[in-house]
Amino acid sequence: MTEHEKYEVNFFKPLSEHAKANTKLISRLAIIWAVAVFGFHFLLIIVTTPTPEQTLNDFNSVWPQVVDDTSAPVESKQLFAKSILMVLGKNIAVKDNHKTVLKDALSWSVYNMQPDSIKPFYKSEPNNAAMTIGLGAEGFDKIMRDLLPSSLVKVANSSLSNDSKKALPEIMNLYLIHNQSFLTDFKFLGFPFHYWYTAQFLLILFVLLCLYYALSIDRMNKEYDFVEET
Amino acid sequence: MKKLNIILYTLLFTLFTGNLFAQSASQLEGELKLGPAIILIVLLLTFILVGVFNRAKDTKTYWAAGRKISPVGAGMAIASNWMSAASFLGMAAIMYGSGYHGLSYVVGWTGGYVLLLILMAGQIRRYGKYTAADFIGDRYYSQGLRGVGAVLAIFISFSYCVGQFAGIGLMFQWILGIDYVWAVIIGASVVLTYTLISGMLGVTKNMQIQYVIIIISFIIPLFILTYKFGYFAWLPQVGYGQAISDIVNGIAPGGGITSMGHDFAILPSPEFAMPWDPATGQTAFQWLAICFSLMIGTAGLPHVIQRFYVVPRAKDARWSVVWGLFFICILYWSAPVYSAFGKILSSNPEVGKLSKDAIVVYTAQLADLYPLVIGFLAAGAVSAAFSTVSGLLVAGASAFSHDLYFNVINPKATEKNQMLMARVGTILMAAGVAIIALMKLGLIAQLVAVAFSLAGCTIFPLFLLGIWWSGSNRTGAWAGLLAGGSVATVTLVYFITGKFGVTLPYHEFINYYLNAWYFAWLGAPLAIFANIVASKLSKEKTPIEIKKFLAEKVHNYKVV
Repeated sequence: MTEHEKYEVNFFKPLSEHAKANTKLISRLAIIWAVAVFGFHFLLIIVTTPTPEQTLNDFNSVWPQVVDDTSAPVESKQLFAKSILMVLGKNIAVKDNHKTVLKDALSWSVYNMQPDSIKPFYKSEPNNAAMTIGLGAEGFDKIMRDLLPSSLVKVANSSLSNDSKKALPEIMNLYLIHNQSFLTDFKFLGFPFHYWYTAQFLLILFVLLCLYYALSIDRMNKEYDFVEET
Repeated sequence: MKKLNIILYTLLFTLFTGNLFAQSASQLEGELKLGPAIILIVLLLTFILVGVFNRAKDTKTYWAAGRKISPVGAGMAIASNWMSAASFLGMAAIMYGSGYHGLSYVVGWTGGYVLLLILMAGQIRRYGKYTAADFIGDRYYSQGLRGVGAVLAIFISFSYCVGQFAGIGLMFQWILGIDYVWAVIIGASVVLTYTLISGMLGVTKNMQIQYVIIIISFIIPLFILTYKFGYFAWLPQVGYGQAISDIVNGIAPGGGITSMGHDFAILPSPEFAMPWDPATGQTAFQWLAICFSLMIGTAGLPHVIQRFYVVPRAKDARWSVVWGLFFICILYWSAPVYSAFGKILSSNPEVGKLSKDAIVVYTAQLADLYPLVIGFLAAGAVSAAFSTVSGLLVAGASAFSHDLYFNVINPKATEKNQMLMARVGTILMAAGVAIIALMKLGLIAQLVAVAFSLAGCTIFPLFLLGIWWSGSNRTGAWAGLLAGGSVATVTLVYFITGKFGVTLPYHEFINYYLNAWYFAWLGAPLAIFANIVASKLSKEKTPIEIKKFLAEKVHNYKVV
């Protein structure tokens, strides 16, 4: 064995019993670490399926009938307006250009539902708009009522623009379909399980892995009679 | 003296009765908030005074803090050094805006410590160098690599500082009620003055005190938030779990809970908690790439690695990581609470559009917390940024004066000349960072992530292979640096030109797969691969004295 070979340091070819034990420990912890973080997230990727919110089902049940047929039932038109408000209520999650399309569609639908006598005040009197849509004063309806003043914009045409017609279903799909699975539906300590796992458990695991390693190395050094350099 | 006492008591009374904060709670921004400003000044003066009483006598004592610090104390110093504006403000910001995607930063910035501990901490301490550039130059027996290591350390410190300055600017904007540009300029001047005054003072002692202040200021509002809105308040880090589920299912108004005249209510928003929700525009690949890049970046950051030299023994280096990670996790378990309550409280359209990076402070304001608490929280944010920035500026300036100027350019330089170069370096760096921070290139957490990817592509492979494979030689090190550096250069060129409106070929492909926030996912493995291949192909052998040192001193092999 040459001088160079005698002093060769290679993680995968440990030279001493102590180094072998150390390599084994590190490999074991690294595998736990990788499986816990990346393994879980690969599992999450595999099991999640795009799941629509009820609001999207409501929207799809009246779209495109509401837009193409002015004689569509009022209930359908109201459902259409409410579904758009449900998306606008997502606030910061919604991109500005998408908000513009949503506000146009909402305003157009409210304006066309209102009788001619109150149309001139449709924007300045959100309460009229709330009644037109059929919003109550409690529950989620109250939140939607609060959204109306900032959501109603000037209506330029009697029909929805082609651009809006094209963009609207895509926008609704974007904000109302979510990646869900048993890992996201199951609750633990109040959290959706996957959220608790990532935000809480992984951090606890990291601390425990570090603690285990520090304890093991101390024990290992004693076992193999190693005195670390100071 | 009596007069001074009266002034002090009056000031304290005013602070605690909250008169100075009366307006700050009712207004999100726009005017000078005297209370937070006073708390901030008091905190900074305290840090300077603590530094004066723990002044380092010489350069060696300064760098290694006398190597007398306990593992718990070193852990606090690691945590304080680590917890910057990115942790304090940035993480909640990214979760507020992108929901579950933001948790990749939480996991990335903590999981990297496991790698750091099991692969490096004890070995780095046993290697016994003071800076990352020293290690690289020594292990790869190259002055050129030492110089490159120093330049990288400066560059990494620089990009790390950009996010911090953005955070300081935002908090100064909030406290002083001024324009962002002026806030950055004033904030940068204050932090520069603070660094120049405290540069050679008792940094490690200060870091322990800063940790305590940062963590207390961050956690107190959480108890009040969870209590006020009816969640389990004994342990807010668990109590907010129900709030996450409530955001998913929606909270109907009517429970009688209001804040600043608004209902505590939100329409169903599953996009906040569901993984890589399409609404956030983020994908599973991006989640994994960010997480991985931040993890290996953690194990390659020069100012983090250097913390292991301040402990007496390798055993203490290991235990300081255990404690450090635990202290860091206290804040990281807590940050998502702000994003969750921020999401609910800002959902009312009357609140308007808020700066995401200031959502921690805005959440406290929207919850109508006691103004003293909000002021302390904002001061805590500035302290977090200051503690990191001063350390980074000193580390960057030292790399410039010690590793580059003294070791490579002018080995005959006197101590006085080196000191002058360090000061010039500090000022130039602070000015440069402030200019970049004014450009608002991204969110704080994202800007800081650039530094992590840079470290992950360059420093991490050199340390990993340098410690664990004595076959890695100078040629391999250059090849690895070239590979990692090329990935970093391509990414940053596309990123910067993109910000100036220039569209380069394949920009969409590059911006997605080699994004500035996570390019290390490719750069680091490529650098490791290049290092191994070039080391194997070259006929050059690592000098026997370095192999001996690695085997006997670093890995404790008893070769007979």
